[in-house]
Amino acid sequence: MDESTAAPEVRVVESPAALEQLLAEHPDYDVQLESLNQWQLAWRRFKRHRMAMVGSAMFLTMVAVGIFGPMIWSYNYYNVPLPDQFVHAGRPPMLSPFHPFGETMLLQRDVFTLVVNGIRLSLLIGVLATVIATTIGTFIGSVAGYFGGFLDTVLMRIVDALLSLPLLFLILVFSRFLGAGSWVTVTLIFALFGWMSIARLVRSVVLSLREADWVDAARAAGVSDMRIIFRHVLPNALSPIIVAASLSVAGVIIGEAFVSFLGYGVNPSTPTLGNILSGAQDALTEGNWWWAFFPGMAIVIIVMGINFMGDGLQDALDPRAKI
Amino acid sequence: MTPQTEQALVDSVPADSPNGVSAGTQPDVMLEVRNLKTYYPIYGGILRRRIGSVFAVDDVSLTISRGERYGLVGESGCGKTTLGRTILRLEKATGGSVTLDGEDLLAIRRSQLHRMRRKMQIIFQDPYGSLNPRMPVSDIIGEGLIAQADRENGWSKRAVRDKRVGDYLEAVGLRRDYSRRYPHEFSGGQRQRIGIARALSLGPEFVVCDEPVSALDVSIQSQILNLLSDLRTQFNLTYLFIAHNLSVVQYFCERIGVMYLGKIVEVAETDVLYGNPLHPYSVALLSAIPIPDPRQRKKRLVLKGDVPSPANPPSGCRFHTRCWLRERLGNPAECSTTEPPLRTFQSGHQVACHFAEQVSADVVQETAAKQDVIETAAAEPD
Repeated sequence: MDESTAAPEVRVVESPAALEQLLAEHPDYDVQLESLNQWQLAWRRFKRHRMAMVGSAMFLTMVAVGIFGPMIWSYNYYNVPLPDQFVHAGRPPMLSPFHPFGETMLLQRDVFTLVVNGIRLSLLIGVLATVIATTIGTFIGSVAGYFGGFLDTVLMRIVDALLSLPLLFLILVFSRFLGAGSWVTVTLIFALFGWMSIARLVRSVVLSLREADWVDAARAAGVSDMRIIFRHVLPNALSPIIVAASLSVAGVIIGEAFVSFLGYGVNPSTPTLGNILSGAQDALTEGNWWWAFFPGMAIVIIVMGINFMGDGLQDALDPRAKI
Repeated sequence: MTPQTEQALVDSVPADSPNGVSAGTQPDVMLEVRNLKTYYPIYGGILRRRIGSVFAVDDVSLTISRGERYGLVGESGCGKTTLGRTILRLEKATGGSVTLDGEDLLAIRRSQLHRMRRKMQIIFQDPYGSLNPRMPVSDIIGEGLIAQADRENGWSKRAVRDKRVGDYLEAVGLRRDYSRRYPHEFSGGQRQRIGIARALSLGPEFVVCDEPVSALDVSIQSQILNLLSDLRTQFNLTYLFIAHNLSVVQYFCERIGVMYLGKIVEVAETDVLYGNPLHPYSVALLSAIPIPDPRQRKKRLVLKGDVPSPANPPSGCRFHTRCWLRERLGNPAECSTTEPPLRTFQSGHQVACHFAEQVSADVVQETAAKQDVIETAAAEPD
């Protein structure tokens, strides 16, 4: 390595078969094994997990729609274009060339535009609430698990108390009194009441990891507690956290849809998949099924995609799994 | 025996035990442990109140000279690992004192303790559990360097650290460029070498080896033992070598302490202990060493019953419930009422037994012959 004069040409192959082929063409090549770190190995396993790849494709498509869709089909609640033809029940998908998902009842808004914008906001709420909840939960869980003792008891009793409250009721009450209708409020409510299960999960993992010899080795070298938590313990607890977080995104999206459906969630002026469904309630009886069907399908695709992905992550991140 | 005389006996721990430092100079004390206690609370009942303690380490005193290899043996659960960890302050001591190189580790301030951690390090038993699987070797070894970085050593600089990591990898017989690899790419023996490099990279003077070879293949065991031996001369190390393999300790250590139920029952130089053990427990322990020759028959002294619970140790001598000598002497009351102090015999041979004078090779043979359980090393040869 040190005495190389000219930079050698480096080719990277991933499979033994590819290596054999390359060596057949260039028998003079030197072979060196490059080690993969844990994440590279996990990515390999993930790539081979068919359902996980399907799920990721579903989820990432929806994310792309959520990010780029509203740029093209922006939704303005105060500027609904007049329909070119007045139909009380709205027109179904086939009969309205510029409205692939049909029109809503009464106002004859474009369902496609609603869904695209709804996906954006639902995903935003789901991801944001999960990020906040996971951060809080990871911090509290790791502190409780690592330090143990009195601190652990206090924190875990708080978790128990919060978990014993009826979540749905709380969300309804809070969204009513904390600026009802704003998506920020809804996000914060889901974040503030969603971290407890993550905290419990992280605590249990940290509880076993803190007994590891490598943690003792770090303590014997004088590494600080916070650094041990963040550098030694949490990286090893990351796999279950990632899996739980990915599943939590799905949970929040469903939860938001549920709350919005009940009319306590986000205002219809900013469409989410939930409040679109909520608006479609009465229309269903009039035969306007497409108003409810397309946002419903969007929820199904997102949640199913995330669940498949979470399953795959669980398998891929298991360090005991082979290749 | 009064506490004063007991203390006097502890004080009389000889400083003239053999050591690897040049002969002639008075060997100085590296580690002095006095009356160290580590108790773990037991909680129970509805209110989770403290209802008892596990006496893991109970009133242990020992002295290790600079450069010495001190072996600590005893069966599983006797508290030898806890003792090692308490000395390094990885476990909270309940009482006593630990003096390393003149500094009282249990009384010292936090910042001073942090600095002292350079001087004392530990090598673990399990080569698989002792390396963080998410870190490359450079970080595994480098973490300690970062934690102990100061202006003098410049370990906060990546380049300085990388060089030191490489140096120590070479010192333990690994290649420099292994530093980029992850633990799962190494064999057990290699991992143990990485663990040793991690401990030594801080430049310690005192190293606790917590069964460093127990989890390894026999062929690898000798490699690691020789490596530890070489490193000791190279870096002037003092070892507290914890093990349950008596042959390993005999090979490796100069002085040995035998532990039973949280107490040290016998301390002697290796040859003295193996040639002439004076505590009935040590006698039984040593007779359990297997002989690697299936044709040779050997009467073993088999102890009756199990080790009592360290949460509820027997009164008086802790060994009296299983002691063959006590049985032979007709169960003297002293054994179950008075705790025997460590008494010093010639050349620093210390024994905690009221009747150590009664132990001799003849007595042992006679007792072993009388046992109803006949244990042989292997099947009957023709």
